[in-house]
Amino acid sequence: MSRDLPRRVVAATFARSFLIQGSWNYHTMLGSGFAFAMLPGLRRLFGSDPDQMDAAVARHLEHFNAHPYLSNLALGAVLRLEADGSDPEAIRRFKVAVRGPLGSLGDALVWATWLPAVAVLALSLYWLGAPGWAAALFFVLVYNVGHIGLRAWSFRLGLAAGRDVGRHLGKTDLTGWTARLEPVLVGSLGLLVGSALAGRGGLVESGGVWVALAAAGFLVGMFGGHRVWRPAAALTVAAIGLVALFGVWQ
Amino acid sequence: MAIVLFRVDERLIHGQVVIGWGHQLWPDRYILVDDELATSDWEQELYQLGAGGAGVVFSTTESARSRIAEWREAGERSILLTRDIDTMRRLAEDGILSGERVNLGGIHHGPGRDEVLNYLHLTAADRESLKAIAAEGVEVSARDLPDSHRVSLQTLLKG
Repeated sequence: MSRDLPRRVVAATFARSFLIQGSWNYHTMLGSGFAFAMLPGLRRLFGSDPDQMDAAVARHLEHFNAHPYLSNLALGAVLRLEADGSDPEAIRRFKVAVRGPLGSLGDALVWATWLPAVAVLALSLYWLGAPGWAAALFFVLVYNVGHIGLRAWSFRLGLAAGRDVGRHLGKTDLTGWTARLEPVLVGSLGLLVGSALAGRGGLVESGGVWVALAAAGFLVGMFGGHRVWRPAAALTVAAIGLVALFGVWQ
Repeated sequence: MAIVLFRVDERLIHGQVVIGWGHQLWPDRYILVDDELATSDWEQELYQLGAGGAGVVFSTTESARSRIAEWREAGERSILLTRDIDTMRRLAEDGILSGERVNLGGIHHGPGRDEVLNYLHLTAADRESLKAIAAEGVEVSARDLPDSHRVSLQTLLKG
């Protein structure tokens, strides 16, 4: 049994997907957000039978986790599977299998690459002399072209491929995209460091003490690696605390 | 010993396993023992995507029982995973896993399951299966990540 989904239902599901983290919790993680996004589709498919509707909502309230943007791929595919009248147990297995790869691919692509790359580029623009609002606008626009594009692309792919998303996802080579974005991130980081050192109000302008402190921090990081990050973070927090206390005392 | 970890984890290959355990044990491959998964192409494709470059072998319980010896002697380091406790019990029958350790990872909340640890929820049948695994000469304990506290079977069954 396969039933067509009206455009209205597909559009409503996509719009609701932006709120998928809206009721994030430790027990079901994205589970209730997932059920919330599925509601228009489930109403369309099971709305005439309260018992079936209850069961359908209950199975989508279960634990689900993935990267929030790529979870649209699961959402599209599950909407397709429900419309095709798939066995609930098969749908549950699909959701269990898909969350791992969607989480790791999305974390690598978005949190570890796209977000820092665009943020670092925007900061470089600022240090290179662009007004603050322009740098902020650049970040919001460029970041969200990627963000909304990824949501829309993955939702369509899920809707078209159903449970075969694994094959399609394997072909699209998201890992390759991540690898191509990494040089952009590293390059912009270089640009940022250069402009923060030599640009308007930069480190060089601030005077010798700050240059010496920054150089010392850089060397400690270079030789200590990840072992020094906890003490360094503690020291920074302590220093900020002391400065704040000093401010209050004054 | 080339099977570096035996683990029961509902989600099989996922972040905790690939990052948490994978970055301590550096497996060359994951062996997924599950009768349904062994014949399900679309599901296999999904699990392969999450393995982070390591190989993935899919096997039924029966075939795994006859290949355990071969996997143990192989040069590749393997992490062997099952989705549920009962599959691990069938794997361990006739002392096949005798002298090994079995690690219990995530089994989430569900109908008929009691919370034993925040990542481990057991049915009455699961508890019997765990005793049966232990009776095959296997040391059973729970630990979600390599850095977390290891909980012995004795403590698990007390609750």
